[in-house]
Order: sequence, then C-alpha cells, then structure tokens
Amino acid sequence: MEDFLNRLKQKVEIREQIKQRDDLYFITIKKEQTELVLRYIKDNEKFKHLSFMQAVDYLDDSKFMLIYMLYSFSRKVSLGVSVFIDRKEAIMTSMHNIWPHLWQYQREIKEMYGIDFPSSPRVNEDFILESWDNMPPMRRDFDTLKYSEETYYQRPGRKTNDPKEYMRKKLYNDFVKTPKLRDDK
Amino acid sequence: MSLKDVLSPFKVWERAARKPWTVKNPIDERKGSANYRGFHKNDLEKCIGCGTCEDICQNLAIDLVPVENVETNMGDSGLRPMIDYGRCCWCALCVDVCPTGSLNMSNEYNWIEEEAEGFRFIPGADKKSWDDSDKGYHQSDDIQLIDPARIVMEELEAEERKSTFVEMVKGYSKEKALLEAERCLECGICVARCPAHMDIPEYIKAIREDDIELAVKILYETNPFSASCGRICTHSCEEVCALAHNGEPIAIRWLKRYIMDQVTPDQIKEIITNNIQVNNKKIAIIGAGPGGLSAAYYLRLLGYEISVYESKTKGGGMLRYGIPEYRLPYDQLDKDIDYIASLGVQINYGKEIGKDLSFDELYGNFDAIYFSIGLEKPTSLRCVGEDLDSVVAGVDFLRDITDGKRPDIGNDVVVIGGGNVAMDVARTSIRLGANVTVLYRRRIEDMPADLEEITEAQEENVIFNPQSLQTKIEKAKSGRLLLQWNNMKMVEDPEGDRPKPIPIEGDLESKEFDTIFSAIGQKADLSFISEKYEEKMKFKWGKAVTNQFGQTDIPKVFAGGDVKNWTADAVSAIADGHSAAKGIDEFLQKR
Repeated sequence: MEDFLNRLKQKVEIREQIKQRDDLYFITIKKEQTELVLRYIKDNEKFKHLSFMQAVDYLDDSKFMLIYMLYSFSRKVSLGVSVFIDRKEAIMTSMHNIWPHLWQYQREIKEMYGIDFPSSPRVNEDFILESWDNMPPMRRDFDTLKYSEETYYQRPGRKTNDPKEYMRKKLYNDFVKTPKLRDDK
Repeated sequence: MSLKDVLSPFKVWERAARKPWTVKNPIDERKGSANYRGFHKNDLEKCIGCGTCEDICQNLAIDLVPVENVETNMGDSGLRPMIDYGRCCWCALCVDVCPTGSLNMSNEYNWIEEEAEGFRFIPGADKKSWDDSDKGYHQSDDIQLIDPARIVMEELEAEERKSTFVEMVKGYSKEKALLEAERCLECGICVARCPAHMDIPEYIKAIREDDIELAVKILYETNPFSASCGRICTHSCEEVCALAHNGEPIAIRWLKRYIMDQVTPDQIKEIITNNIQVNNKKIAIIGAGPGGLSAAYYLRLLGYEISVYESKTKGGGMLRYGIPEYRLPYDQLDKDIDYIASLGVQINYGKEIGKDLSFDELYGNFDAIYFSIGLEKPTSLRCVGEDLDSVVAGVDFLRDITDGKRPDIGNDVVVIGGGNVAMDVARTSIRLGANVTVLYRRRIEDMPADLEEITEAQEENVIFNPQSLQTKIEKAKSGRLLLQWNNMKMVEDPEGDRPKPIPIEGDLESKEFDTIFSAIGQKADLSFISEKYEEKMKFKWGKAVTNQFGQTDIPKVFAGGDVKNWTADAVSAIADGHSAAKGIDEFLQKR
C-alpha cells in the first residue's frame, strides 16, 4: 500500500492521508483530479470495486465531503477517497462512467444533501422521500425538531411534567414569591 | 399460451412436502450486535428525573411521568422518562446526554404488541426482558455531550493569601461566566434544594443571553443578599446539580456573584424599581443581619413601615462580624444592605433591645415583631482554666477584626473547634502572622466546616490536630498558656451513627500557646426577650419554635434565621425572612 500511495503521489496531489488500520486507508484529493485518480487506481492499482459513496456536511466550513469507498479484492484493503466541494455550489461531476452503479448513490445524495450530479442517470427522481418539499433533510441546518412539530401530530393523551414545577408542588407548595418583580410570561 | 405455461406455477407445489429452504424463525437467533441501539433500559435508582433526555429528543418522543415507588426528594424529581416508540428513532442522543448515565440501550430489537399503546413505556419501571442485558449501546467517554469540568475560578495563591485580607476569589470574567453558564442543562433540580428557592436555571439562562438586568431581577425575587451569597453561600444547590453525578456541578454560586459584579449600587436601583403602596402598619425587626433585612425588604415591598433595631454600629450581622473580609469584602455586603435601606427601611444602629429599648415597648408600639438574631454566645469549652486571660471566644475575635482592631495574639495560637467559625478564626490568625493549630475532637472528615474552608486553611499552613479533646488550660512559667489535651480514638457506633470519639486513657499531650480561641459553637442570647413573653413562646434547644411562616405562639411575634433553623446559614436566614414576610402580611391582612 505504501508503494502504491507513493506512486500516486508522483502523479497527483494528496492533501491528507490516514492509515486507520492495516486494511483501511483514507486519502483526500483535489476535486478536479477525482476522475483521474479513480480511473487510475481502478485500472492500475487493483481497486476494482466501489463499495459505496457517501456525503458529509461540514456546515461550519461551508463544505461537503464526498467519499468514494473502494475495495481491492487482491490487496484485501479498503480505501476511502474523499474530495471537498463548496457547499454553496453543490455540484459534482458524475463518476457513473467508471462504476455504473454509482448512479444510485448519486441519486440518493442528490435527494438527501441536495448535491447535484449533472448527467448522472435518473438523478432527479425521488429516491425514498416521495413528494418532499423541504430542504434536503441530511443537511445539518435542517431543523429536524421543527419539521417534526409542524408535520406530525402528537399521540393524544400524552402528558409530561417539568421537574422544577413538579418538585415545587411536591416539596414546597406553600412557597410564594412576594411580590413579583418580573412580568408573567 | 402453452400447456406448460399453465401448469408450471403448480410445479412449485411439489416443494410443499419437502424441508423448507428458509431457516425457521431466524429472528430468535439473530441477536443485535454488542453495541446495537436497541430498546431502552433505565436504572431507576440512578435516574434523577432531570428531563435532559426529554429536552434533547428531536422527535418529542419522551415524557416525564411520576412512577410508583419513586419518591420526589431534594435531588430527584421523582419523575422518570416514558418513551413513545411510535416516535423514537433510536438515535441515542438521550443516552449520550444523560447526566447520571442511568439511561442506556439493550441490543434487543424485537417486540411484538397487539395494541399500539403498548409501545409507550417507562424503561426500568415497566419490566421488560432486556432490562438486565449488558449488551447494547451505552454511554461512553468517546462521546461527551456534557463537559464534566467546570470553568476554573482564579484565586490568590495560598502564599499570597496568608498576608492579606484582600478577597481571595477573583470572580469570573464575562467570557468565563458565559462558558460556565453554557454547561447548565436547565433541569431545575437545584431550585428545591436552595432554601430560598432561587430560580437558578432562569438566572443562568439570563447570563447566557447576556441579559444582566433580567438576571438581577430574578435574584431579587428570592434573595436581596445576592452579592453576599454569591460569595459565601453554602451552595447546597450544587450538591444536587445533575452534572455533579458524573462530573463537577455548575458553579452556581460564582455565577450569582458574576451577575452582581456587573452592576453598581446605582444600577441596582435603576433595575429594581418598585412602586411601593405605603400602608400605615408598622413592623419592628430585631437584628440587621441577612434574615432581618430580607424580611424588611419583602415587607417594605408590601408597603409596611419598617424599623430595624441593630445593637452594632453596622448591618449585616454574622455576614459582617463572623465572616472575614477575604471571603466577603465589606463593600459587597454594603451593596446589598444599601439597596434595602434605599427603599425607606429605617435601620437604627447601636440600639440594643433589652437595653436601649425594651421588648415590651416594641410589643406595644408595633403591629408585628420579627426577630432574627445571630448566635453570638460562645459555648463553654468545659475544661479547667477556660476563664484565664488570653482564652478568647472566636466570635469575639472576629468581631474585633471587623471593627478594625488587630489584637496582639502572639506567635502561637490554637483554635479549638471544627466548624466554619474555627476555620475563619484560624485563617484570620494566619493573616496576623501567627502559627496556628486547630484542635478538634473528631477526625478532619467529621468537621462541620465547609470542605473548601478546610482545604483552604490547609493550603495556608494551618496545622490540624484532630482527635484531641482539651482537658486543662493553665498558666505556664513562661507566662504563656499551657493547653493539655487527651488524644482520642474513634469507636464505631453500635446504632450505626457516625463513629464516636473516646479518650485514650493516659494519652495526654500539652503545648504552650500565646492565645487559645474557643470556637466549638455558639448559642443565641435570648436575654432581650422579657420573661413574660419568653414564657409564652416555645424554645427547643435554644431555638425558637414557630409555624412554617415563622409565627411563634404569640401571634404578632415572628422569628427566623439562626435563632430558629438548624442549618444556621445565611441563605436559610434569607429564606426565613422571605417566608416570615408572607406570614406577617397574611396575619396583618386578616386582623
């Protein structure tokens, strides 16, 4: 693996390299060199298999990370290849020409993160969120609780207690603030 | 369509008689992985019902409900989480955030129920097969949603402290206060424990939102001595803080101080504006300590005319004359007192009831009387020679220091006692340059003094001589005092109480000292109450017996503070003053 990574470094820029385990490596490359790198390591370095593709929202840095998880049957090693793209301009070149089944992952990421992959087959079709009319839900600025409150109703008969108020009733019910200095909310 | 097409579907029927290809009921055999986020379990003993799980739940799946056989007490709301599995998504945030670590998950994921309602359950209380499972997702150190460490408070170093009466605790900067306030979970468990029931989560929230005005208002609702309490409160609220279960509690006391540090006395008057509707009823208050002045404050807000009588020349009671200024600077105490006085509360200094004015006169001239006097009469050392010169009561010494005197105590002093007064006397003596020994009959861990006072005294090189009982004081040839004590052994109590100190026969030691301070306890001096009233009131072990609003058996006489309660601390006196104000108001309304 070290030889392979050194060879790769001769050709392209590797921004970060992590060895997680003997059989698990991660590299970060430039977005523009994605197709070049993926084709090269598939054709020449025995990483024939794409296990999956996923996205991560780095909201604070205003970036998305896309990660292509590859596997080499002969080396018995997994390799994660990641690239960062601008969060405001969330578009990435489709890689389905290298691994045809990528179209399905890209369609899912389009739906969940709103990252577009122009020319990827059926990329605009609903994946699991039928008739979704909100922000892509895996974006970290999506307010899950607000959505849940607005969309679903509570099961009838539910009742909860505020610990502070409940303890007042149970332990010091006689206590009265005299007089009030704040307006009642 | 051929005949084959028609018949082929029936071909599979031949399988009916053979062994199936599928594995029968595979579900039973497929356990979730060891770290699987399966069904919840809750250790009801560990859980304190703080509701943080409910707060963090993004799906609003959790309700806090009372549970049979779980009692509400000072550190436990008695409520427990009920989870609606119709809404839960098993994200496990509730597990990650749980401050006690009571809520966890099993790796069980199969549950069949006929009625949908059955999927609402109280983990731990509704018995389930996975309750005892040790597998499944548990809280781990890798994911800590709560910072277990409080923001460090800067203090003067021990060496520097030993030679100065300058306040040792420096207080939080805004930046640090905001960070500390950020740790609060707003569960509100602490409010019950605070004797004054201060709205702690609300004022911490106001700090977080940088709304100091609101914070000051919240403080004054329950405590007009917040600048003082922010420094010297016994802060029992922090003992029950949810964060104390797996880390350090919120620095509630320092945050209260931070609020009061942000405002000048004039700003307090601008923030707390009162529209006092004066009535013509008059109330006399005996003692201008935190208890008396708190009652004065709340009664004044209700419109009463207040006359406070204080034997000393300044107010604050034991806060001023008992607590050294390196713990509570006098200007901070004045800040609290001046605001109360500014409302038109008349404080008569240097007026001792029973001497300058009789109790009888007060009784005749006022509609109600509230007495909240401190404990100033030292308890006897019960040993030969305690009447000798240079055997000094600790409280008298502290009072002299407050009055600006710097008595000559010599090079070697001993303080007999293990309470806060003993610690204050010892640490004050250190600041006067003496070598100080503390003599106490039990072990250090049995001392009634606050742990931080003991630690700080040790840092300042106070020598602790525990398990020693004074037996004799005599004049040595050198002219100094010779203190003899008996070493003690601790004996387990057969009834399970704390171990008792027993003298080891013949194991006597003695040493010469220049001054011997007695600080083994104080009592209230009740001689100001004339006999005919004292007979009608009840006292038990020197403490006034009253109803919950401080009313004694003489309806127009109320009592509170150290002379009534057993905690004998500032915040309890303040709480007593507040509730007596309510009691007096109700009493006078009814009349």
